[in-house]
Amino acid sequence: MPGDPNLPNPHRRNFLRGSAGVAIAPFAVRAARAEIPALDASEDARALTAVGMTVNGQRRRLSVDARTSLLDALRDQAGLTGAKKGCDQGQCGACTVHVDRRRILSCLMFAVASDGADITTIEGLAGEDGALHPMQASFIDQDAFQCGFCTPGQILSAVACVKEGHAETEADIREYMSGNLCRCAAYPNIVAAIRQAKPLMEG
Amino acid sequence: MQPITYERPETVEAAVRALGRPETLFVAGGTTVFDLMKVNVLKASHLVDVTRLRDPRLSAIEVSDTAIRLGALVRMADLAAHPGIRAICPLIPLSLDLGASEQIRNMARLGGNVLQRTRCAYFRDTSFEACNKRNPGSGCAALDGHNRQHAILGTSTACIAIYPGDFPQVLAAVDAQVEIAGRQGKPRTIPFTDLHRLPGETPDVETVLKRDELITGFLIPRGPWLRRSLYLKIRDRQSYAFALASAAVALDLAPDGTVREARVGLGGVATVPWRAREAEAALKGNALTEAIAHRAAEAAFAGAVTRSHNHYKIPLGKQTLVRALLGAAAMEV
Amino acid sequence: MSGHETALRELPLIGRGHARYDGRAKVTGRAQFAADVVVADPIHAFLLLSTIPRGRIDRIKTDRALVLPGVIDILTHENAPALAAPVSQAAGSATNHQPLIDPDIVFDGQVIGVVLAENFETAREAAALVDIHYVKQPAAVTLDSPGAVTERWSEINQNFEDLEVGDAEKALAEAPVTIDATYHMQSQVHNAMEPFPTTVLWDGDDLIVHEPSQYVVGLQRGVARQLGIDPSRVRIISPYIGGGFGSKLSLTPRTAILAALARKHRRPVKLVATRSQGFTLSTYRGESRHRIRLGATPDGKLTAFAHEAWEMCSRFGAYASASTDLTADMYAAPSILTRVNIVRTDRTTPGFMRGPGEMPYMFALETAMDELAYRLEMDPVELRRLNEPARSPIDGSRFTSRSLVKCFDEAAERFGWRNRNPVPGANRDGDWLVGYGCAAATFPCFNYGGSATVTLLRSGRARVETAASEIGTGAYTALGQVAAELLDLPIENVEVLLGDSLLPPTAPAGGSMQTASTVPAIRLACERIVSRLGNRMPALADLGAAFDRLGTLSIQETAQYAAFDGKNANGGRAVLSTPDGDEPIAIASYGAQFVEVRINARTKELRVPRLVGAFAAGRILNERMALAQYRGGMVWGLSSALFEGLAIDPIQSRVTNTNFEEYAIPVNADVQMVEAILVPEEDHEVNPLGVKGIGEIGIVGVAAAVSNAIFHATGKRLRDLPITLDKLF
Repeated sequence: MPGDPNLPNPHRRNFLRGSAGVAIAPFAVRAARAEIPALDASEDARALTAVGMTVNGQRRRLSVDARTSLLDALRDQAGLTGAKKGCDQGQCGACTVHVDRRRILSCLMFAVASDGADITTIEGLAGEDGALHPMQASFIDQDAFQCGFCTPGQILSAVACVKEGHAETEADIREYMSGNLCRCAAYPNIVAAIRQAKPLMEG
Repeated sequence: MQPITYERPETVEAAVRALGRPETLFVAGGTTVFDLMKVNVLKASHLVDVTRLRDPRLSAIEVSDTAIRLGALVRMADLAAHPGIRAICPLIPLSLDLGASEQIRNMARLGGNVLQRTRCAYFRDTSFEACNKRNPGSGCAALDGHNRQHAILGTSTACIAIYPGDFPQVLAAVDAQVEIAGRQGKPRTIPFTDLHRLPGETPDVETVLKRDELITGFLIPRGPWLRRSLYLKIRDRQSYAFALASAAVALDLAPDGTVREARVGLGGVATVPWRAREAEAALKGNALTEAIAHRAAEAAFAGAVTRSHNHYKIPLGKQTLVRALLGAAAMEV
Repeated sequence: MSGHETALRELPLIGRGHARYDGRAKVTGRAQFAADVVVADPIHAFLLLSTIPRGRIDRIKTDRALVLPGVIDILTHENAPALAAPVSQAAGSATNHQPLIDPDIVFDGQVIGVVLAENFETAREAAALVDIHYVKQPAAVTLDSPGAVTERWSEINQNFEDLEVGDAEKALAEAPVTIDATYHMQSQVHNAMEPFPTTVLWDGDDLIVHEPSQYVVGLQRGVARQLGIDPSRVRIISPYIGGGFGSKLSLTPRTAILAALARKHRRPVKLVATRSQGFTLSTYRGESRHRIRLGATPDGKLTAFAHEAWEMCSRFGAYASASTDLTADMYAAPSILTRVNIVRTDRTTPGFMRGPGEMPYMFALETAMDELAYRLEMDPVELRRLNEPARSPIDGSRFTSRSLVKCFDEAAERFGWRNRNPVPGANRDGDWLVGYGCAAATFPCFNYGGSATVTLLRSGRARVETAASEIGTGAYTALGQVAAELLDLPIENVEVLLGDSLLPPTAPAGGSMQTASTVPAIRLACERIVSRLGNRMPALADLGAAFDRLGTLSIQETAQYAAFDGKNANGGRAVLSTPDGDEPIAIASYGAQFVEVRINARTKELRVPRLVGAFAAGRILNERMALAQYRGGMVWGLSSALFEGLAIDPIQSRVTNTNFEEYAIPVNADVQMVEAILVPEEDHEVNPLGVKGIGEIGIVGVAAAVSNAIFHATGKRLRDLPITLDKLF
């Protein structure tokens, strides 16, 4: 390898490489336990509020800070990390979930406001037997993702897109899927996946 | 973002009463509130969620022979998908479909949509000290800053922040009225074009709403121009982007092509939803030729004031309006 | 070491497009990205970044924040633990700034504090309550800012030389036809969909880091060095990366700081940086300017090529993409003169971003070539064909394979180039001006070698293990597929483990080199396995018997591949050892990009309905993954041409568009037809499998093709990226 790797200015792109470590560090991961004190809306802004919702067909009770987004509640409390935080500002669509059968951005929804809501996340899309939803299967078939980070949001958006009737033409699909950014730019493949899944969903 | 308390009243009366508390904000879809609270641009200690108010008219789309009434809690997506409205006034669903994304249209309600906050980078990032809108008296960083997106109509030396959105420009164009409920007395109704205030010396005061007033609906008088109407939006991306320039036009043409009535709203170029009455006057009584369309556009932008990065908005704005007018004239209705 | 090569089957030139190995995990939400990892009782961190570009912190008051219930600690330069300075593990990409050691501010968005709290909401709230007073100083943040200092790159970097072949100045002065034009592009930021999360936890003296990394072994070593511990005590876990594009290649200062805090508080620490913060936590593609001069004969033969570049850099770092060797290798100019400068500004140090120098340098060259073609009234494709070099114009090195002309021909045919009316501004479809443009693409081959372990079980199941990274390129799929095909197993039988610093080290997922560096090691391991099975891979049904004869249940082989006898391949050059001595070779991928643009005659908005690219990059392991890389890269090229650029406030010297709304990247509606053509190419010298890189070449040339198409549509030559519609008025 040419040059001193500590020199920051190699002629061309040089990468310092080395041998792997050999010690096996124990990998300690324990599931976080959600504590659920039942609290009503409080005058104390730091108190937690209990909210009940149906998530992927199961009744859930979460206690949330009123500042908590539905996205953070799903990820940190319900243990459903499929929805992703890509911008936390409603600009990327990675956090898309279904609330009461509509696709929404969970980063812009207050978790307290979802009290009583019926929520579907990517984890709830496949059948209980593990059979993939046609949209999930079509995403694999059409290679509609690369890194996969935006994919749960894309798929939930795509399912809604078909159900809304916004998947009649390729132009429609492109337009109505434009709220979900994909930096890997798998867009044409996403369009192809939706076209493949649409008759399967309707049939 | 500071801690907040939250309540979800069931009646309009309870909602406006709740606004008696200090540092209290209404929230419906949350799409122009939560984002700004996270970055400390909007500060509140109490949220009043109005999405579960029981009055069914708040969520209703009503069409009579003389008017269209839109409840303030109607979702953008639902109005966009309403088949009756599309037939009566294609301008409305067009403007909605070209705004935001379907996810946001599913969340955002019409009342909140017209109150959405500017996308001015200096307003939306508290690390920029000077912003008269966010911090009255602190100055305007945009005047000599990066102002490619900023307004050229309705500006002041205190603020050139753009009014975003698409649907509000339509309301401005088509003579809509706003229904407002408050704590005192009966609901009031004002012209939509009176709802937003030009920035002047007080850009922090964006509307004429009192702090305990709630928009409950919009009333659009039906006129023959609504059928021949379209919304044209020009932006950097093909979708999911705010307008660099937009035009909402509605025309009533005589059989010989003479403009009997014209309604023109402009977006992407002004500090408030912009009604271009000068353009309407230039059109009225004339056949809608390319030359007349250009004359209307000249009139619409006669008062434009540009800054270092937004000179292009004058030719862009004019061409957008010309294209929209000629497009509307060519519509088969 | 490869005495049994014949025992292994030859892979096809274009490998079957198996679906993604990790597809099911990714469509079900089960793929665990760094921020998805659950750790018990974490402390939540929120970063404080500077809001001035230059100066120092006069006073930082944390008392209001510290008293909030739930706030655990606030780190500033006044109380930060001592850490060794970060040394970029990918040397040359320099996130080598060490924050929190003094009150000095040297760029906007510099880490100046870390807030720790019991939950995310409280950490964010407390961060807003930290009161910071700065003493500001004037700052230079663009190439043209007063106070920006230009330095010659060759004087900073001893390993770099500017090129001087023949007398280019004289040739330019005498050339009958010349082009002298300057091109510019604004700074760009990777903006992978996944921002920069990190979760760290200690288990005794062992540190576990969950952080997306394009180079887990480098991150491991870098963090260990900063903490002053042995690398074997650090484990990086990064099985899925939500997009990298170079942003997760280098060590950033956050990791060691968080590790030190986790050690201090004896609890895991979790950071999910915001989108906005991500604009300065890692590197970016710095603003650059290029002056290209071409001399040519009236019939189009180049007589001279000169390229001078100015690249933005920080005051404290030293990075340049310095890709003049790449542009000089493109065409047969008998005289060459190049010069690379860096311009020191008050910004953080730029670094690798997909096609780091290839994208901007080729934007300049390929737009200039188009300008020359129009000047000569010659077809741009023919101009390139006419100047195709037989050997490297720089040093006469032999190209091991170079399919540029073939790529042009195939893409031109598919695009329908022949039918174009070459007159600028003459092509109209209703209200839309239509333009066609083309440009060459190239990307040099790198290869740093790698290692991998392959295990074959008696049952016919196999496992591949290597510390490679899956950033969306399909690494799991391609690496598993190679083992499956070499061992003649169904691909479902092969398990692949990646993204863990405990695994055998290999080249980073950067420089489009990971696959080319790693698969030879996999091949070697497979070869040894087959050799132990008697030099022939038994049929699956006979495998049990073969293992029984050996008296074993599994065969495991770890192999290391040392590229070019350990001398590696760097930036398109390597040295072959031959019986006649060392032979320098030029190794690169080539391609051709064709673009159709449409511009509204009135409102000037610009749309790109068609992108067609043809690429030759040696053996393709998986057709589907390759197409995805090429097409994704092409959309990146489109994005670089039309959308991306930091918006700088000229008064405050700060970036104003650190978000996904104003730093625009394409949405679905912006991308219509994107077609990539795989041009088969056989290369026996670049590495044992003849694999070149495919991850970055797709972006190269597109911006030039777009700008050339805009000229064709409008007659207006635009030399400044991004080309937004305001530039068309």
